[in-house]
Amino acid sequence: MSNKSLDIIHDEHRALAAMLSGLRGLVASIEAGRLKPDFELMASMIEYIEMVPEKVHHPKEDSYLFARLRERSAEALPIIERLEAEHREGDARMATLRAALEAYRREGESGLAGFQGALKTYIEHEWQHMNTEEHLIFPLARKHLSAEDWAHIDAAFLANDNPWQGPAGKYAALFTRIVNTAPAPVGLGGG
Amino acid sequence: MSNMLLEAKEIHTYYGASHILHGIDFNIREGEGIALMGRNGMGKSTLIKSMLGIVRPRHGRVLVRGDDYTRARTFQTAQQGIAYVPEGRGIFKSLSVRENLLMSARAGVDGRREWTFDRVMETFPRLGERINNGGWQLSGGEQQMLTIGRALMTNPDLLILDEATEGLAPLIAMEIWRIVKEIRKTGIATVIVDKNHGAVTSICDRAMILVKGQVVFDGTSDEIRAQPELIQKHLGV
Repeated sequence: MSNKSLDIIHDEHRALAAMLSGLRGLVASIEAGRLKPDFELMASMIEYIEMVPEKVHHPKEDSYLFARLRERSAEALPIIERLEAEHREGDARMATLRAALEAYRREGESGLAGFQGALKTYIEHEWQHMNTEEHLIFPLARKHLSAEDWAHIDAAFLANDNPWQGPAGKYAALFTRIVNTAPAPVGLGGG
Repeated sequence: MSNMLLEAKEIHTYYGASHILHGIDFNIREGEGIALMGRNGMGKSTLIKSMLGIVRPRHGRVLVRGDDYTRARTFQTAQQGIAYVPEGRGIFKSLSVRENLLMSARAGVDGRREWTFDRVMETFPRLGERINNGGWQLSGGEQQMLTIGRALMTNPDLLILDEATEGLAPLIAMEIWRIVKEIRKTGIATVIVDKNHGAVTSICDRAMILVKGQVVFDGTSDEIRAQPELIQKHLGV
């Protein structure tokens, strides 16, 4: 049986990974002297990460998938509690990343290393978080949740109307703007 | 079947002495989306080329809307409303973006002209910004958009995308998938050859996996997504 909610989480992880990979690529190009920093662009990318995974994606996981699974699997409980704690720390981690970007904007070149370090920490955390969900939680969910559980969870995820793009295409527009502005090879914009 | 668009029956294709496709059956109906997946060298592109007459199968038949096109030339098959976005893109680098688009403009099989130059511009606003640039001046992602836009200008009933995001940065690939998803909603049947099983199965209703020139899976996208072990085994991800 396919689980729509897990498919949606997979899709959202892929989009988040693409954005993080793009931001990391931009910063690497700046460090290598191939690009000048575009602070508006980097702020837009961080805004996207904040508005979508932090504000939309994580609450859905907590409210539906994790809520049902914690009732069905004792094995999943410690993992869910760790993931939920990481979700709660999301605002603080975003604030750290935003502050590091602001410091870079303020200080100029000397602020690059600090921002790069904050970004590396953020990406490593997100990577580990997504891996835990996909490799530990998904198999447990497939094993322990009933058809009725899945119907409930899938309905909630599908009712959320493709949150990666937003109900009115709000995030799709932001995503497209970022792709069109980010210089090649990260995006389609000029160098 | 009245709504069958393209069929391959028992196709065997060779490159010299190498037997590439081993009796493949394939079909796609109007409005359907098929994710054609497999590792490198498993015969995905060869199957497409065999159906389009770019490569001649040694055995088997190709039908377009029930008519035999096995021996048809590629342009004759294309004139039946089949648009092909090849691996490597194949834009005309000496022509501008506008010229690349306009040279392929034509009505669909039933005379419909839903995909106009303006609509392609709306779908790919980035191309509008580069309209007078030469093809050689475009980035890989822009070239890919141009190739898809050019295919849409033929008002196709079937759009075949072969490795549309190959070599593109993840952000650009995501944007292309977003646009292809929008195109799918217009009802154009689509065959997508790609290694990114997550992206293509979220766009297409059906999925096929080829291994060594044979079909090892043909079912719904939901079915394949529910079998991660099958994806691991045949796609290695």
